[in-house]
Formats: sequence, structure tokens, C-alpha cells
Amino acid sequence: MNQSECPLMKEKGKTAKRLTEDVLSMVKTHSINKMNAIWLEVTGCSGNIISFMNSDTPGLYEILTGIVNLRYSNMLMGAEGEFAFERFLETLDMDFILLVDGAISTKDNGAYNIIANYNGDKITALEATRMAGERAKYVLAVGTCASYGGISAASPNPAGCISAVDLLDRPVIRLPGCSCHPDWVVGTLAYLTGYGEPELDEDGRPVLFYSITVHDSCSRRGFFENGIYARNFGEDGCMYQIGCRGPVTRADCPRRKWNGYVNWPVEDNSNCIGCTQRYFPDGMEPFVIY
Amino acid sequence: MGKIITIDPITRISGFLEIQAEVENNVIVNVKSAGLLYRGFERMLKGRLPMDAIYFTQRICGICSSAHAVASALALENAMNLNISLNDSYIRDMIHGMEFIQNHIRHFYQFSIPSFARIKSLKQVDNQDYRDFRLPEEINSRIEEHYIQSIEFSRLAHEALAIFGGKAPHNHGIFLGGVTATVDPYRLEKLKTIIGRILSFVSNVMVEDMGIISGYYADYFKKGISYPNFMSYGIFNNYEDKEITFVKAGLMVDGAIEALEAQNITKHIKYAWYKREQDTDIADISKKDAYSFIVAPRYNGMPMEVGPLARFIISGNYSGGHSCMDRYIARVLETDLMLRLMRKIADRIEILPNDQKPFVIPQEAYGAGLVDTARGALGHWVQIKNQVHEHYDIITPSMWNLSPRDSSGGLGVLEMALLGTEINNTKEPVEIGRIVRSFDPCVSCATHVLGGNARGKTVEIIV
Repeated sequence: MNQSECPLMKEKGKTAKRLTEDVLSMVKTHSINKMNAIWLEVTGCSGNIISFMNSDTPGLYEILTGIVNLRYSNMLMGAEGEFAFERFLETLDMDFILLVDGAISTKDNGAYNIIANYNGDKITALEATRMAGERAKYVLAVGTCASYGGISAASPNPAGCISAVDLLDRPVIRLPGCSCHPDWVVGTLAYLTGYGEPELDEDGRPVLFYSITVHDSCSRRGFFENGIYARNFGEDGCMYQIGCRGPVTRADCPRRKWNGYVNWPVEDNSNCIGCTQRYFPDGMEPFVIY
Repeated sequence: MGKIITIDPITRISGFLEIQAEVENNVIVNVKSAGLLYRGFERMLKGRLPMDAIYFTQRICGICSSAHAVASALALENAMNLNISLNDSYIRDMIHGMEFIQNHIRHFYQFSIPSFARIKSLKQVDNQDYRDFRLPEEINSRIEEHYIQSIEFSRLAHEALAIFGGKAPHNHGIFLGGVTATVDPYRLEKLKTIIGRILSFVSNVMVEDMGIISGYYADYFKKGISYPNFMSYGIFNNYEDKEITFVKAGLMVDGAIEALEAQNITKHIKYAWYKREQDTDIADISKKDAYSFIVAPRYNGMPMEVGPLARFIISGNYSGGHSCMDRYIARVLETDLMLRLMRKIADRIEILPNDQKPFVIPQEAYGAGLVDTARGALGHWVQIKNQVHEHYDIITPSMWNLSPRDSSGGLGVLEMALLGTEINNTKEPVEIGRIVRSFDPCVSCATHVLGGNARGKTVEIIV
């Protein structure tokens, strides 16, 4: 691949950090407006919003005051009960971004996941995702459950979980990852706020974050090239022979790293388990082969 | 019949919880706590590989994933009679401990404080239909400033977790046989520095804020009192060294300490949306009288409160009561106490290689992993057959605290805490959410069902 073809080189000027800094200053100088947003936790572990709260720079407070006007979030909002759900309904009449965190449970017409009780009506995650998904300007599937079904749809899929993409008959931006890296969400939000839709691959993922495999830029690639393999977790060396899914997994973990950019699974002497992939977890197991 | 108050969603928790309270003459006379999310992890785990479960079960919960990694690894190590080295135990406790700290800081500032102080600069937090905010302007704005500062400290706790855990949520570092991490002097120093920074915030700011809240809302020392039954599976408890030991497994029932006998734990499903089919429990939302996806665990038939307050009472660290406010206080004091213990544990970590090897899973085995986590007692029970999971059973802390009624009709711990509560203004029932959040509910974790039959080796089910 020559330089002009490499998607990384092309997208280099638009790092998540640069983007968010630009957008923060654009909002401050009123050249653009903050977008309204609904963060809808549905059938999952709520780990994607916890990961979002781990955003480093900008931190959660700068995001909430500078990039999006998060009008509904089960985890962060002050209101509760019907008054809270009214904020959800109100937002549907505005221009807004919908962030879906979790898969959508469809068994028994969605009864396995109730997100609100409004005037005696039980609002299922299924119904709420449809309501907001139909009206949102942009829909982001945050995490692997919302993107592909993920662990919530793992065999035998007891709750009949499907992805937000399969539920909604409209374009959805996929941000897979279990959990989704905060930069992937915040960077995409900043892009949408400041510049509109980012370039997406054939699967609806922003090229900016998902264009190459973990193996492509792995910090242990040199071991692979030289045939030095780890025999078990805990060792140095390429972990290809004990089941590392880096070669098939599209994500920028090796260069981006996690949690204040301090570490990532392979540097912690363990396999990439393919958590951003369509067939995670069933198709990515075994996570380790001894 | 009195007025029915329904609060759903109870926001600022993890997952989906509904509270229905019947109020007569401003007093709650009947109450139901309902967990409204079901995924069926135990059914998914049947037939999966035991080592994979350490990563798989973390996906039960995004806010306390490391807790599941610890319990899952312990259950498998128990099944294989595998002991982990002292150094690996220290590192595992650092990873798990940092999850506690992340939880407790977020629970106090992001989840609890908005019920007591106004966060005016964040409209989505400030926009509430309750008016019972009692802090004077100047104190309120200081606490709002601390809400904002706290965001960086909870983020830092996850950064510290990732130093040896690889990433958070859903770490990779906790694994069968110990941890996968390599210790080097730089990582260790980084960990110690973060512990120091967070401790400085917690002991100088968070503890004081807790004191202020408890002063202005002192009536909450009389609200939210539940059963006098407390249980812990122990945490930082495998050391001979008393200086770094926190709480050993045990119970306190009506003021008397008892030893924990895990075979006394049962699960009641009469009021939960599950039915027995052959040896598997299947979700059934049409089941009569059922109202929650949470099953009711009981110890010798008794509901048990679990969590920071239970740990403080059992370990003799707390001389107060067991009200709503005491739960909040215990959680804040525990954040401070644990960070001090973690500093000492970090000092004991040596630059040694980890103990990983290519483990072989036995053909048949049974194991239990019981450990206290941020929200209380967490148990994973595994039965392995042909090197895969035949049964996997999970009882989370929030199941103990948020359970519905048991087979004999006895209320769950949270239900009992709400029963009898005086609601000052039924149009603004702010008391309910404050009491509910004192338990730090996690419904993502709580909705589980046994995936197979008991055979005397896992937890007995009572229909």
C-alpha cells in the first residue's frame, strides 16, 4: 500500500483529540451549535456510558458543556420517573443525535427490558429505540451490542437481542467495541457536531477509527515477523498461536491505548479477543487456546 | 387503598429499576422493587469454555466488571485447587480495588449528590421536579465544584486499574492463576502516584462533603432502615498480614457475628418472572404474582443486606446505625479506608514475573468463587463437565439488596428499607430515590437465573 492509499495517512489530520478541540472552540465562539442528544441505555451492561465517562481530554464535563446537550441519560440525569421520561419525549421534537448503548431485546414484544413507566404504560427498550431512532438526525450504535448484538445476543440469545442497526430501517453509524473506547464516541460526536457525517466503511464504521486491524499496527508485530511466539498469557511475544484475534479485528487499540492511554490488552500480555467484531463473542471464542 | 407512587426509571443507577409504593397518610404501607432487564447469562454460559468465562462474565456489568472477573477466576481456581502467588494476589487486589474506588466516587458524586445538591451548570442534572434542596448557596456551589472535580478522579481510578488490567471496563489482567500483567518500576510508581492523588481528594474533599450532606439531611439517619442482617464474603482477606486486611467473610444477625456457611444460601423464584422447565429456569412474564426479573436470594431463609455498610459493621469499623444516611457514609469512609490499604498493598508488590502457564482444564470439577465487591457479596458457582461449563450460577450483591419477596412473602432488603417511610409531599416523593440509591443498585448485574439443576452442588432453588 503506498502512502496515498493508506487510510491512516488520509485521516491523520483528524485525530479524535484535534477534532474535539476544534469543535469545542467552534461551539464557544458560536460558529456552530451544540447538538441535542439522547443516550439510550438498553439491553446491555451500561459499560459504554461508563467508558464514555472515562473520556480524558475532553473530560465528561467539557463534553456535556461544550459538545452535546445530553438531554436524556438514565445514568447521569437529575430527574427520575415520569418527569425524566418527559425529557426523552420532548427531545423527539428537536434536532438530536441518538446514542444507543446496548442491544434491543425483542422476546415477548420487548418485555424483557422496560426502560420507563409513563402514565401506567410500560415503555420497552424496543419501543423507545424505535421512537427515537425514527426521528433522530443521526443514530450512533455505541458498543458491540448496539452495533451487532454482541454479548447480549450470545447463543442461545435468551432475550432475542438484535442490534440497533437491524431494528432501525435507516442509516446507523456503528461504533463497536466492548466497551466502546471513549475517543471513538467523542470523536464521532465532535465530527457530527462540527463537520457532519464522517467517512464510513462498508459496515457503517468511521474509517478514522476502524480502518485497519489490530495486527496491522500491533506493538508486538515485530515478534510476529521474527517468529517469536508466546506460549501462554503473561509472556512477551506474538500471541497469534494462542488465539489472538488481532489479525481479524478492526480497531486502533495498539496506537490509541486505553484509560488515559496507559495500556491495552496485548501489552497486558493477553489476547485481543476481537470485541469490536461482528461475531463477538460466539465467533471470537475461544478467547485463549492452550 | 392508598395512593400508588410509581418511579420508573430510577435514574442515576446502573440498569433499570422500578419502585411502586402504596402510600397512606403520607406513609409507605406497601412496596415492590422490580428489576426490569433480563439477558440470561447463565444459559449463555452453558457449554462455554471455563477460561473464557473470566472475560465473558465481566460483560454482565459495565460499572463493576472486574468484580465478575475476580469471582469467575476464583471459582475456576477453586475447581482446580489452584493457589495464586502472594504477589499476583496483591496485583489482583489492586485491579479490583481500583474498581471499588471508581464505583464509589461515581456513586457519591454523579449518582447521589444530585439528590442533595443542585448542579446548576449542568442542566440535565439540575432539571428535577423536586424542591427539597437544603444547602446554603455558598456550600452548594462548593459541592458543585467538587462534582466537577470528581470526574477526573473516577477516570483516574480506571486508569490505575488499566495499568495492570489492560483496559476498563472489562479488563484482561485478571486471569486464571493470578494476573497476566508484567510489573515494572515505572508502572508501579504510576499506580502509587494515582493512589496518592485520589486519596488526597477523597480524604480532603469527599469525606467532608459527606459530613455536610449528613448534617443538612440528618432526618435520613431515621429513614431507610431495613433488617438487622448483614453479610460479607470478605475482601482483602487472604493475607496473614493484618495491616492490609479489611474484612473476613461473615455475617452479623441481630448484633451477633456468625460464620458464613455458603450451603445456607438459597434462591426463591416465586415472585420472579421465571418458571422451571426440566432443569432450566426460563423467563416467563405471564407468571402470576411475579413482578421482577430479580430472584430472591436468602441465607437460612433470611434476607441479608450487603455492601459497604455491611462490611463496616461486620469488621467493627462502624459504630453508627443502619439507616439510609449510614449507607452513604459507610461508602464514603470505605473509599478512604480502601485507598489507604491499597497504598500499603502497592508498597508490598515486588518486581516479579507473573505465574501464568498453559493451564489444563479438568474433565469434571466444581468450584465456588465468593468475594465482596463494591456493592457487596458476589458469588459465582461453576460445574465443569467435559472441560466446559455444565452449569454456571451467579448471585450478585444487588440481588441480595433489591430482591422481591421470597417464597414465604418476606420483603427484600430494599423493600423493607422503604416500608414505613414517611413521604413529606406525595407529589414530590424525593425520599424514595434517596433511599434506593443508598444501596447503589446495579440492575445490569442483578437479573439472573440459575441455568441448571442444583444436584446439591450449586445453589438450591425454592419455587
